[in-house]
Amino acid sequence: MTPRQKTAHTVQFPFLPERGKVSIFEIALLLICIALLAAPISQSLRDVVVLTFLFAGLGLAWNIAGGYAGLISFGHAAFFSIGAYTSTILLVSVGLSPWIGLWVGAVLSAICGAVLALVCARLRGPFFILSTLAFAEVVRIGALNWASLTGGPEGLSILPTPGLYQMVFASKNAYAALMLGYLLFAYAVTKALEASRYGYYLFAIRDDEDAASASGVNPLLARTAAMTLSASLTGIGGSLFAQYFLYLDPTFMASPELSFQFALLAAIGGLGTSIGPVLGSFLLTPLSELLRSYLGNAVAGLHLIIYSTGLILMMLYFPGGIAAALKTLSSRGRKR
Amino acid sequence: MTAILEVKSASRAFQSLMAVENVSLSVQAGELLGLIGPNGAGKSTLFNLIAGVLRPTAGEIVFDKQNVTGWKPYDMARVGLARTFQIPKPYRQLSVIENVMLNAFLRDHSLAGARRLAEAALNDVGLTDYVNTPVSALTVGLLKRLEVARALAMKPKLVLFDEIMAGLTPTEVGVMTKFVAGLPARGITVVWVEHVLYAIMRTATRIVVLNRGKIIAEGAPGAIARDPVVVKAYFGEEMTLA
Repeated sequence: MTPRQKTAHTVQFPFLPERGKVSIFEIALLLICIALLAAPISQSLRDVVVLTFLFAGLGLAWNIAGGYAGLISFGHAAFFSIGAYTSTILLVSVGLSPWIGLWVGAVLSAICGAVLALVCARLRGPFFILSTLAFAEVVRIGALNWASLTGGPEGLSILPTPGLYQMVFASKNAYAALMLGYLLFAYAVTKALEASRYGYYLFAIRDDEDAASASGVNPLLARTAAMTLSASLTGIGGSLFAQYFLYLDPTFMASPELSFQFALLAAIGGLGTSIGPVLGSFLLTPLSELLRSYLGNAVAGLHLIIYSTGLILMMLYFPGGIAAALKTLSSRGRKR
Repeated sequence: MTAILEVKSASRAFQSLMAVENVSLSVQAGELLGLIGPNGAGKSTLFNLIAGVLRPTAGEIVFDKQNVTGWKPYDMARVGLARTFQIPKPYRQLSVIENVMLNAFLRDHSLAGARRLAEAALNDVGLTDYVNTPVSALTVGLLKRLEVARALAMKPKLVLFDEIMAGLTPTEVGVMTKFVAGLPARGITVVWVEHVLYAIMRTATRIVVLNRGKIIAEGAPGAIARDPVVVKAYFGEEMTLA
């Protein structure tokens, strides 16, 4: 009787992330994140930390649609842009605080996400992916040409006067804390989703759509809801990005490259797992930033070649991402 | 008795092939209706018409006094129609109980409530020992029982069973037959497609025989087994059944 109770207790508090539970791994990772905030590191490394946190949050946001709902989107940069432009325009022209503006951006992104999914989620595989690419193009061309609103190709700038109301900070530490807050929010949403009825629906639809339908789940509605949630979280990330760089460049904001980046973080980390996009960003964002800063000037393009080779090797040897690799390693260790 | 399901001259064509042709069928509440017929008779198509997977090209489906022609499977599930799949379709990423909970959510939105409904349904089909097992570890027989548990967890008014005996051992067939026979007493009407004829002949209150998309015979199991039209449909020529 006693040993059984003991195993039941360890199941409550597993080592690796599990659905509906908080694991030792996650707590350790959180402590590392907090340590990174406090650690005395150089400004350029601090910059890497800020971006790592931000992109982890964005990867998590993408993963809700791409990983959990199976809606592989290469157009999430559009939601990112909508969030960024909304909060920035509201701040620059009306003087509304980005603390409120980012929620307005989130709602607008959510509406766009819902419409996109309702119209396009009926399409299968490559056709859906193409429709998301097209959607992002529409947003990019809109941002470039609606100059009176978006500043057109010159972009939009936020005045670099620090202040809590403007969400502009002098220290990069404050930004790192802000981005960590975003990462934790996106993570909490993902964990809550996983453990909810609605998360079960998404698992079911991804496994077998016909069976899910017979279980009383409307696949299109469930997918649309996931896309809506994913889009709104991405929009928030866009607003935070704008507050960090204080400048919006329309050719970058809604670019396919940025959309690919979101998808890549989730895919390398582990699609449809909560920890995947976080691990993906913790590996890839520093790698790409550091490669660029150390090799970017030496041989043009060398950092990209090394980065891409690394990605190809990852995909070949760990198709399930880092999260799946960890799981295999730990189960092997347990057998021994 | 009132009719819970009425199929009114339903047809379904796939290009020039009439898979179901002008089929009319009325199922009374509390009935255990057996649907048999040789391979390609249109049984599965008729099932899919009722379950909302396919839309009839002509005719109407009335379920529980509502015209449900053209409704989607998830709409049908909501109003109380459950179905099993001939080839089990479990959710491979979920455990056994989570598989059943998914259907139970239809009647109880809370996780705890759905878990209770799922536990009861698993207990019904004798899967209590497998609650937390990953579905990948289940044998065909257990997967079939899981299909039945999922259907029951929805607390359906009518359940469509699609060959739940295929792949079961004779002992398992016996247990399952007894179980299915008890469902009408619990207020669940059963429409059952089965190739394991001795199971269905023993349990059904009425048998409908389909062949080439049409109903060729209908009646009590004993009469059906002796019907020369049915025998011919199955064996192609006359022969005496022992």
